Amino acid sequence: MQRSNAEVATMPDTPSPENLTAELEILLARNGIKVPDTRRDTVLAAYADLRQQVALLHGRYGAVAEPSNVFRLSPTESK
Amino acid sequence: MNTQDSSIAAMGAALRSGTITAEQLARDALARVAARDPALQAFVLVTESRALDDARRADQELRAGRDRGPMHGIPYALKDIYDTSGIRTTCHSKLRIDHVPDQDSVVAAKLREAGGVLLGKLATHEFAIGGPSFDLPFPPARNPWNTEHVTGGSSSGSATAVAARMVRMAMGSDTGGSIRGPAAWCGLVGIKPTYGRVSRRGVFPLSWTLDHCGPLTRSIEDAAITLQVLAGHDPQDPASADVPVPDYRAGLERGVSGLRIGVPRAFFATASAVTPEVLAAIDRTIALLRDAGAGVEDVQLPDYALFAAAGRVIMMPEAFAIHEADMQTRLMDYGEITANRFVLGAAVTAVDYINALRARRELTDAVNAVLGRYDALLTASALATAPRFDAPVDSLSSTSPMQTIPFNVTGHPAMSVPVGLAPNGLPLSVQIVGRPFDEAMVFRIGRAMEQVTGWEDVKLPAFAA
Repeated sequence: MQRSNAEVATMPDTPSPENLTAELEILLARNGIKVPDTRRDTVLAAYADLRQQVALLHGRYGAVAEPSNVFRLSPTESK
Repeated sequence: MNTQDSSIAAMGAALRSGTITAEQLARDALARVAARDPALQAFVLVTESRALDDARRADQELRAGRDRGPMHGIPYALKDIYDTSGIRTTCHSKLRIDHVPDQDSVVAAKLREAGGVLLGKLATHEFAIGGPSFDLPFPPARNPWNTEHVTGGSSSGSATAVAARMVRMAMGSDTGGSIRGPAAWCGLVGIKPTYGRVSRRGVFPLSWTLDHCGPLTRSIEDAAITLQVLAGHDPQDPASADVPVPDYRAGLERGVSGLRIGVPRAFFATASAVTPEVLAAIDRTIALLRDAGAGVEDVQLPDYALFAAAGRVIMMPEAFAIHEADMQTRLMDYGEITANRFVLGAAVTAVDYINALRARRELTDAVNAVLGRYDALLTASALATAPRFDAPVDSLSSTSPMQTIPFNVTGHPAMSVPVGLAPNGLPLSVQIVGRPFDEAMVFRIGRAMEQVTGWEDVKLPAFAA
């Protein structure tokens, strides 16, 4: 089912450590999160690992590959 | 009567024959909690008066001829993310330390209606994700097989309470393996039913599309009895499935002769964290199942890494959406492990999340295709035995020693079953995965494993009085 019917996007290459830090900080800031300096290295390491997992899912699917939350309605009975 | 080792069915038979009362069962269990829990920390709250009230009511009803079924008069406990009316429900967190719900969760209500005796609320990793931690309002639960080792999480106190023989059944929840992981590391049966099989209403969510409710027990039969009480449609839970519930005990003793079981060997055999004793335990279990008449063959599924990635990328933003406001304003009130995990949800983009949902569809179809040819799958629950507290692992990382999250992604019923002890004296387990809503088959295979592996004869850990 993957890669059918359309071009597929690719994940940008793994960024440099400096860019990875900047990327994370932008994403956190956009969501109003400020991580204390003492925890930053731990969170950054976890983010690097998560980003690799994210990359596994990019570039696999074309336009016809629909997400699992596409839903179907049932007729509504009048009351 | 040895009430600490009596099955739910045996306790029920004794209650109905009049050889014991529910009040005596409750008092025995409360005494075990008082004696053992100071060293093990399974309970965050012991509800002694509620337990005795429940027990006396159960006795009165039995005397009056009202029998509520197999859980009538049986002590149990709940992970502290299950709402309990009038009883504090903290999620093991400073953020909800004073939260007292005014309604029972559906699970708590069903167990009450079934005549169960609530002993108390159990430790969990904070909000079912952050632990084991020492910076929370309550200490982490310890593994009764060796208290220097973790239980696994997040249903940590549930595993400790059952493994330490305080209760025969405790409720857990499972978003990436939080029932099956602690069950695996504490020598218990832990079943994550099919997504939608048990109502999640009134259970504090971690990730709406991955959360499942289920029991941790000492035996397959205990698990089957519990799920019989809990399974069923709840129109007020949007995920709840309106699917008939069979008699889970009816086929327990049918054995595995003629069944076909697939083994996605690449899941665990190629994992860098897998240990020789886990591989040996799986191969021994396969050999025993073949001896019992099952056809067991290796099968191919998509790469394990895809399942793990989809699970984490779905879980993190769903969890962050739930905690967004508190993460913005009260970050330091969370435990450090919890906060460090939750903030990652803010770093998952919408496209990342949608790609994970596309993967979920692909992966669910792939598991269903294999289960079209096999009655069940057998794989690892965990790649190693429980680690020490001073060598913790991140169960969500790409190198996690847990192998449970694929079936949160796909929603299939999955159960961890103990199969032996490793040379270090800690339990080893395997995982059985069934077709959607076919928990009966999972139980049937698990019951056969219980018998052929000799687990029923394994000496349980001794506990200091």
